[in-house]
Amino acid sequence: MIGNYMGKALGVSECSRIDLLVLVFRPSDLGVSVFFDSARRSHRSAPLALLAAALLFAAACSAPSTDRVEADDQPWSQIEQQARGQTVSLWMYGGDEQGNAYVDTVLTPAAKEAGVTLRRVPVADTKDAISRILAERQAGTKDGAVDLVWVNGDNYGTAKQAGGWLCGWTESLPNMKYTDPGDPLLKNDFGVPVDGCESPWHKAQFTLVYNAATVSDPPTTFAGVLDWAQRNPGRFTYPAPPDFTGSVFVREALVAQSGGSSSVPLTYSRDAYDRLTPALFDRLTQLAPSLWRNGSTYPQSSSALNELYAGGQVDMTMTYGPATLTELVAQGTYPPQTKVLTLTDGTVGNASFLAIPSTSGHTAGARVVANLALSPQQQLAKANPDVWGQFTVLDTVKLSDADRAAFASLPQSPVVPSYDVLSRNAHSELASAWVSPLDEGWRRAVLAGN
Amino acid sequence: MVLPAVVAVTLVVGAALTTAILQSIGLMPLVGQPALSLDGYTAASTDLLTSIRLSLTIAVVSTALAVLVGVTVALMATSGRRLGLAVATFTVPVPHLIGAAAIGLLLADSGFLARLFRLDEGRWPALVGGRWWIAVIAEYTWKESAFIAIVVAGTLASRVAHFDETAILLGAGRIARLRLVTLPLIAPSVLAASTITFTYSLGSYEVAQLLGRAYPEPLAVMSVRLFRSIDLATRPEAAAVAVVTAALSVAVVGVSMIALRRSSVWR
Repeated sequence: MIGNYMGKALGVSECSRIDLLVLVFRPSDLGVSVFFDSARRSHRSAPLALLAAALLFAAACSAPSTDRVEADDQPWSQIEQQARGQTVSLWMYGGDEQGNAYVDTVLTPAAKEAGVTLRRVPVADTKDAISRILAERQAGTKDGAVDLVWVNGDNYGTAKQAGGWLCGWTESLPNMKYTDPGDPLLKNDFGVPVDGCESPWHKAQFTLVYNAATVSDPPTTFAGVLDWAQRNPGRFTYPAPPDFTGSVFVREALVAQSGGSSSVPLTYSRDAYDRLTPALFDRLTQLAPSLWRNGSTYPQSSSALNELYAGGQVDMTMTYGPATLTELVAQGTYPPQTKVLTLTDGTVGNASFLAIPSTSGHTAGARVVANLALSPQQQLAKANPDVWGQFTVLDTVKLSDADRAAFASLPQSPVVPSYDVLSRNAHSELASAWVSPLDEGWRRAVLAGN
Repeated sequence: MVLPAVVAVTLVVGAALTTAILQSIGLMPLVGQPALSLDGYTAASTDLLTSIRLSLTIAVVSTALAVLVGVTVALMATSGRRLGLAVATFTVPVPHLIGAAAIGLLLADSGFLARLFRLDEGRWPALVGGRWWIAVIAEYTWKESAFIAIVVAGTLASRVAHFDETAILLGAGRIARLRLVTLPLIAPSVLAASTITFTYSLGSYEVAQLLGRAYPEPLAVMSVRLFRSIDLATRPEAAAVAVVTAALSVAVVGVSMIALRRSSVWR
């Protein structure tokens, strides 16, 4: 897998510096001579020369520029014109059946009408798309495989740090007028300024889910959830960070353990980390023996936790996408008594976005699709629990009367309460700089410590 | 004749390995200036040593079990009981990923066997994601024993029959024939096949990721986790783990090549 990416990075390299090489390399260092001994002796020098050429090529690379890449400032009609006939590859997490169905049956036909062919590329983890973009950027590709990514949080921040996104294009989208420019969820993405590098798609709320048939006394605060887990040995666990959901859980535990969201500074600092995390890791280590399998191990992904919940081995699960719950209960995957835990101290909320990589060769088409995804019709279709049930990023006050009424009369899910209820007392995501130290600290203190 | 193949392998493997080595010593960073440093190797040296131990143990145990099962199946096939070999023929084309998913469905806590024996209420042993990596080793053993069985059965069919008949005519017993004729003749193919098995299980990612646990982690899982980390500074560490894995594999292949050349049958 790693070799694959590196090979791609080398194939179209534009690297220019050839000064580091000779210091680094002698063929025998690589141990490849073992293979050559079995080749015919008369040809021995040829592969070595080729190897040397490959090495020269590789060694000539240095880090790509991390400068911000700005979009061309063109009138919207011209962008629409350019977009006609383009094929846009949308890379998105492929594990959400309803999301896949929405893109294939609602968004893609609408894009077709605008003359853009939308191709959905499912990935197991958004990190795969980021790796691809960064590898292409390292190789200097101008017409990369990725044109649009469903992204937020640390993935967005990492690629932004490496100059991976096209920026300054969202202001020109006609449908941006329906969003609230002051909405904090749309201005910052995990503490990283959005800066016109990504266009909002939907909002999400971190949600704990329980089986009311087995949990008779549902907790009402996050600290209460940890206490409940302690009183009911083996019936609770959480995914091991760096899994996205497990990572959120640990951040929520940090907020609860530190005495609320106002006690944890949103921006990361070593001081705050050293001051706040010992109590967190103590609490989680103390909790571990009461978890599933006595906390000797943790589910490796949120889907592994969901399987445990579906199989009745634990009584609670958690998700950043409560939209999927309705369908899972209706199908019988989750127990019929599945309910959303509403916590009085609130949970963390965020928005997710569509971003265009700086390596994309179809930016006009990607901008047209992003604008379309933001339209009241698409946002309304997507918010229907029968379609996808994703919460809208639009400010309903700014919509036409008809659209506002349509949003108000969306069918209610029997499992998931409305966004207003879910997001009561919600707090913002900590800055993405918190994520790595917390994940790594958790691995050392809680996982390896046991 | 082999030149086209050698060129392709050299370019792909050579370029990938070189890139990995350069990244591991800090000369090809994603952000920042290139600077020679061994931080990639030293930053997580304790974890790296734990992972090396774990990966080697899993590979050694799986290979040993696979050789035992595979050779037994091959020997049974030559004495007329071909069912095992027929099963092996169907096992080899199954991809490891599918094999791992199937083993997971079979052995997990709420898996098929646990339900069959109605042992789902915490009494089922932790085979998947447990302390002893049993599901991972079971998957490698199952898949690789089929591979070894087919390789060894091929050798047995082509060479051993004649020698075996001669030994019978000369009055050798079953044990003596096995010890003095069969095993020495199949030893080179067992060695070659088990080297392939060993290096595969040392570097494999998907099986350990699906059926393993979060900590400690085998080399491949550690490398991919670091490579995909949102912290771009861990890329050198990821490359360092990959280089260490490759070095271990190359060392084992080298030792096994030397052993093969010394074996009497090779000459």
